[in-house]
Amino acid sequence: MEFAIQGLLLLLEPKTLLTIVACSLYGLFVGSIPGLSATLAASLLVPFTFFMDPVPALVSIVTMSAMAIFAGDIPAALIRIPGTPSSAAYTQDSFALTQQGKAQLVLGTDVLFSAVGGLMGAVVLMTSAPLLAEIAMKFSTFEYFWLAALGLSATVMVSADSQAKGAISMCLGLFLSTIGVDITLGYPRFTFGNVDLLNGISFIPAMIGVFGISEIMRNVMEADRKMIFAVKKVQTKGIFKGVWPLFRKYQWNMWRSGAIGTFIGILPGAGADIAAWIAYAVSKRGSKEPELYGKGSIEAIVDSGTANNACLAGDWVPALVFGIPGDSITAVVIGVLFMKGLRPGPMIFEQQPEIIYAVYLAFIIANLLMVPFGYLAVKTSSQMLRVPKHILIPIIMMMAITGAFAMNNDVFDILVLGLMGIVGFFMERNGYPVAPIVLGLVLGPILEQNFMSSMIKSDWNLTLFFVRPISAILGGITVAMWGFPFLMAFIEKTKKKDGAKV
Amino acid sequence: MGKKDCIGGGIFACLGIVIWVLTFSFPELAAVGTVHAHPGPSLFPRVLGTLFIFFGSVVIFNGWRTSKLPLPPPPPEEEDGVKIAPLNYFNPILVIILIAAFIALAPKLGFIIMGAAVLAVLMIKLHVAPLKSIIASVCVICVIYFVFAKILRVPLPRGILAPLGF
Repeated sequence: MEFAIQGLLLLLEPKTLLTIVACSLYGLFVGSIPGLSATLAASLLVPFTFFMDPVPALVSIVTMSAMAIFAGDIPAALIRIPGTPSSAAYTQDSFALTQQGKAQLVLGTDVLFSAVGGLMGAVVLMTSAPLLAEIAMKFSTFEYFWLAALGLSATVMVSADSQAKGAISMCLGLFLSTIGVDITLGYPRFTFGNVDLLNGISFIPAMIGVFGISEIMRNVMEADRKMIFAVKKVQTKGIFKGVWPLFRKYQWNMWRSGAIGTFIGILPGAGADIAAWIAYAVSKRGSKEPELYGKGSIEAIVDSGTANNACLAGDWVPALVFGIPGDSITAVVIGVLFMKGLRPGPMIFEQQPEIIYAVYLAFIIANLLMVPFGYLAVKTSSQMLRVPKHILIPIIMMMAITGAFAMNNDVFDILVLGLMGIVGFFMERNGYPVAPIVLGLVLGPILEQNFMSSMIKSDWNLTLFFVRPISAILGGITVAMWGFPFLMAFIEKTKKKDGAKV
Repeated sequence: MGKKDCIGGGIFACLGIVIWVLTFSFPELAAVGTVHAHPGPSLFPRVLGTLFIFFGSVVIFNGWRTSKLPLPPPPPEEEDGVKIAPLNYFNPILVIILIAAFIALAPKLGFIIMGAAVLAVLMIKLHVAPLKSIIASVCVICVIYFVFAKILRVPLPRGILAPLGF
């Protein structure tokens, strides 16, 4: 209780409150502009967090991401373009209902169910994270190695198009993390005599490059096309009017999707977009009106909208407890934690409990603020969507350049930014997901350090990775995860053969 | 994606081979007493090199398989009766050229001049009126400079404007 009060006091400091308001507006703005993702917004926030105290720095990302994930629903409903990938699952339904003259109901449902989903995730974060941290205290290098491997594997397995391409992206991130002085002998690897590379590739410029510059390059390529979204004037009076009965009607859906979203969030590597898709699929299967899905189902919006916001807090569980990011936004959070001298892991709950409580409370405040701020955003939505992208994109590019430079006050980081932008651009155009690159960069040092320590401790006896009980379970899950696609392919092939014989 | 996948997979498989070759120059840890010798700094990159070769080959195989399938229909050329403009492939290159120009010239000319130039060039290329672009660029760069250099105390390159106190 004492720490909760300390956390609350830290949160109520004027500087922190101002940060919450500013980042809420920033999140709403970025989320409602199609093409600008919450991850990009988080990466652009990092240069500013460098100059903040730890609590405002973390709170800024919490509020920004919560608002951005909700705000992505606004253009989805109004112009059939999801503001962030998390709203993609139910864009068709939102827009169809808007076409039927039910924009108020859709936007009101988006606001309230996003807030409820976020609060559910926050409660799970508050209750489960400390319990998991106690278990994590018993972890050794073997368990940490498997956890990092599990996080990376999960990221690869959820790669939408091709798992092989996801694996290549992950390997690229891991390879980039090996550049610089190695941890066993202090030997400079892949530096080619360049002094700037001795410290390795800076995570922040690389991340802004992969997400930000590649997105800018993609957007400018379409510059000759229409760059302002035509938005119809939508009646936004009394948007919450028709929503209250939905809470009673879809109570079970709300709890179920909140649980799905939080669970997906806790899995390392899986983010809000996946949570929304899975909640959508589960909702359709259990619905009494599955024929409405894709044609304008409010039930689909309730389920997916609750799940994607619940996922956000869930993503913080592995990030805080194990230092393994739950998604690409928490990968940024881990970078910020390290930058602030905080080491994510079970010890953070004992060493800086007031900061952890401040984060918990920030989630609750951000989701409560979502109701009035969301209402304002809906009110001004048609104006927000009128921001000309051909002015916005150069500004974002300049912010990215300045942010990359500000990390180490070094022009070399701008070079990293540009190169990673090119890599991200070409990979995305060829169907390679870029999030695993960032996760690979974050988890690479953890993976290698724990692997090498374990190998040296066990004198190169690989069986010890499966001797300790938790290590064996985590290892078993990881191996099964990699074996599953091959097993499925084998079963499919056998079925086809049998079918051909018959 | 068929042929593109074959090329992409090939590039990553080659990267795996290059990583393997480069690791041959890395030192190894010799055996001491009862402790076995181990590959040290080269172990992790070699594992990654192997994974690049394996997954690169999988992508090549998948690409070769899909290249035999019939091509998907081309994207529509018109939307709501309006002809869709083709993609502008020069613009992404321009973004990289501008970043390179900033890296090369910002230390000499300063953040404000180079930043404003980068902004103005990109805005004009994105069809913003020249005068509007220049005014917007100067205003934006002044705000960014004020926030980062004055409030956040980032030592942005001052270049030729240093004598003026910027």
